[in-house]
Amino acid sequence: MTNRHLIALNKRRVADLTLLVLLAGIASLYCFDAARASTHIYNLIMVLPLSIAIFILCTVQFVAVLRSESIEAEEAREPTGALPVIVLFSLYVLSLNWLGFDVGTAMFVGVFLWVHGERRWPWLIGYSVVFAFVLTFFFSQMLPYPMPMLLPGLANAYPF
Amino acid sequence: MLFSSGTPWLIVIPGILIGLIFGAIPGLQISMAMAIFLPITLYMDFMQAMLFLTAIFTGGGFGGSIPAILMNIPGTSSALATAFDGYPMAQKGEHNVALGIALGASCFGVIIGYTILLLLISPISQIVLKVGPAEMAVVILWGITLIGSLSSGSVLKGMISGLVGLLIGTIGYSEAGVTRGTFGSPYLLDGVPVIPAMIGMFAASELFRLARKDYLVEDRAARQVSVRLVLVGFRRALANPWIVLRGSLIGVSVGAIPGVGSSVANLLSYMATRRSSPNPESFGKGNPSGVIASESANSTSEAGSMATLLALGIPGGGATAVMLAAFAMHNITGGPQFIREQTDVVYAIIIANFGQAFLLICLGLLFIPVLANVIKIPMNYLVPSVLAMSIFGSFGLTGDLSGPLTVLVFSLLGWVFKRYDYSVPAAVIGILLGGMAEDSIVYSYQISGGQWSYLLERPVAVVILVLLAVSLFGGKVAKFLTGRLGR
Repeated sequence: MTNRHLIALNKRRVADLTLLVLLAGIASLYCFDAARASTHIYNLIMVLPLSIAIFILCTVQFVAVLRSESIEAEEAREPTGALPVIVLFSLYVLSLNWLGFDVGTAMFVGVFLWVHGERRWPWLIGYSVVFAFVLTFFFSQMLPYPMPMLLPGLANAYPF
Repeated sequence: MLFSSGTPWLIVIPGILIGLIFGAIPGLQISMAMAIFLPITLYMDFMQAMLFLTAIFTGGGFGGSIPAILMNIPGTSSALATAFDGYPMAQKGEHNVALGIALGASCFGVIIGYTILLLLISPISQIVLKVGPAEMAVVILWGITLIGSLSSGSVLKGMISGLVGLLIGTIGYSEAGVTRGTFGSPYLLDGVPVIPAMIGMFAASELFRLARKDYLVEDRAARQVSVRLVLVGFRRALANPWIVLRGSLIGVSVGAIPGVGSSVANLLSYMATRRSSPNPESFGKGNPSGVIASESANSTSEAGSMATLLALGIPGGGATAVMLAAFAMHNITGGPQFIREQTDVVYAIIIANFGQAFLLICLGLLFIPVLANVIKIPMNYLVPSVLAMSIFGSFGLTGDLSGPLTVLVFSLLGWVFKRYDYSVPAAVIGILLGGMAEDSIVYSYQISGGQWSYLLERPVAVVILVLLAVSLFGGKVAKFLTGRLGR
C-alpha cells in the first residue's frame, strides 16, 4: 500500500467515523430533548427505541469502519466539486427574505450560469431575468399567500 | 346521462390537462389544483363537477411521474417509488420508454382500479369500516420493511439511514402535547415538511452532482425524443399485466385506507415486485418493472380513495377532501345513503373514469414529447432552473420560507448521505412514514391499553400481518421446502 493510499484511507475513515458520531450524537440529543419535554409513553413510544437502535447501529458500524482496510469505495465517492453549487444555492435560499423571489432567483440563475462557463452576456442576462420573471409571475398568480418580492408590481393576485 | 351528449366530456379534457400540468410541476399539488378550480364547479351540475375534479385527479396521478422520471423529483409522495427506477432509466437515455411505461401503467391501473370499484364498492367500504389504527400501523410497518431492502451497498448503513429518517419524521408536536426535536424553531412545530424534504434529499442533492455534467444524458443520440419509443414503453407496461394487476390490487386496497393511501401503496407495490423478481438487485438501477409497479399502484389508489369517499363520505387525503367540499357545495352527503339513493350517479362517476383513462392516453402521448425535451437542455441551464423551481414549489407547499429552508437542509443531508454511501431512498421513506407510524402506534396503544393481544382480535390486522410475513419470508420458506422435497 502506497503512502497516498494510506492518507486516503485515513481521510475516509475519519470522515466516516465523524459522520457516525454526528448521527449517533444527534439521535441521542433528540432523545434527551424529547425526554426532557415529557417522559410520557405517548411521547417516547417511537423516539426512544429509534434513538437506541440508531446508537447501537452507529456503534457497530463505527467498529466495522475502524477494523476495515479496504479503500475501494474511495473511487466511487462523490467528488467535492459540488461545493460551489452548494454554497451558491445556500446563499440563494438564505437571502430570499431580503432579495425576494424575483431578484434572488434572477441573481442565482445568472451567477450560476456565469460560474459554469456561460460568457454570452445577452444569453446570461436574458435567460436569468426572463426565467425569474416567468416563474415568479406564475407562482404569485397561483399561490393564495404573499411571496417575498423586492420589485413592486409582482404582488400576488389570486385568480379566483 | 354520460353518453346522451358530449357536454360532460368537454370538461374532462381541461381537467386532465390541469392535472397533468399541476402534477408535472414540482411543488404544485393535485389537491392544490382541485382547490383552485373548485369554485368553477359551482357553475356545473354535480355530475359535471365530479367528472371535472376526478379528471384533475387522474391527470395529476400520471403528471407526478414526469418530474420523478426526468428530474428525480417526486413531486408528490405517491410518485416516490417511480423515481427509484424511472430516473436511472432517464440517465441511461431511456426517458421515452420510462415515460411511456408510466403512462401505460397509469392508464391500465386506472381502468383496473375502477373495474374493481365498479364490482366491489360495497364490500370495500365494509372493509374500510373495520380498519382502525392497529391495521394502519401494520400497513405502515409493511412500508417500513422496504427500508431494509433498499440499501444497495451496506445493509447496516441502509438501516441507519432509514431509522434516521423515521426519527426525523417524528419531530414536532407529540400526542403527549409537547414539542420535541424542534430546537426552538417555530417552523418545526408541525414537523418536518415531508415533500420539501423529499425534494431536497432526492432532487437538489442529485442536481449538485449533475452540475459538473454537460447533459443529463451524455450520449447525443440517446437524447432524442421519440413518440415511437414512448409507445414501446406503453406496450411494455401492458406486456406486464401481472405487475399491473398486483399494483392495482395493492393500490385499491391501501388507497382506500384514509390517511395512508397512495403514499404507501406505491412503496408496497414496488417492494412486492422487487421481491418476486428474479433480479431484485437490478431494482433502483433502472428496472422498468419498478416504474410499472409504482405507477399502477399510485393511479389505482385514486379508485380506492374514491370508494371510501363515495361509500362512507370519508376523505382519504387532500384531493378527496376537496371533492367532499364539492359534495357539500352541491348539497350532497356521501355515504351508504348516497350509494343507495343515487346509484346512477355513483356508477356514472366510475364509468366516466374509464373514458378518462382513454383520454389520458391521448393527452399523455401529446404531452410527453413536449416535456421529454427537458433532456436536451444543457445542465448549466437545467440545474439552476430546476433548483429555483423546487424552491418556488416548496414555498407553495408550506406558504412560508420553511419550505425553501427544508429543501436546503435536506439537500445538504442528501448530498452527505450519497457521498458516504448511505441510502437516500430509505431515509426518505423513513421521513414519510415516521409521523404516520407514531400516530397509529399511539392510537393503537390508547385503544388496546398496551395489550399486544389486541392485535390478534383484529381480523383485518391479522390478515395484513400474515400477508406481510408471506411477502417477507414466503420466498425463503418456499425455497427451503423445495430444497427439502427435492432431496
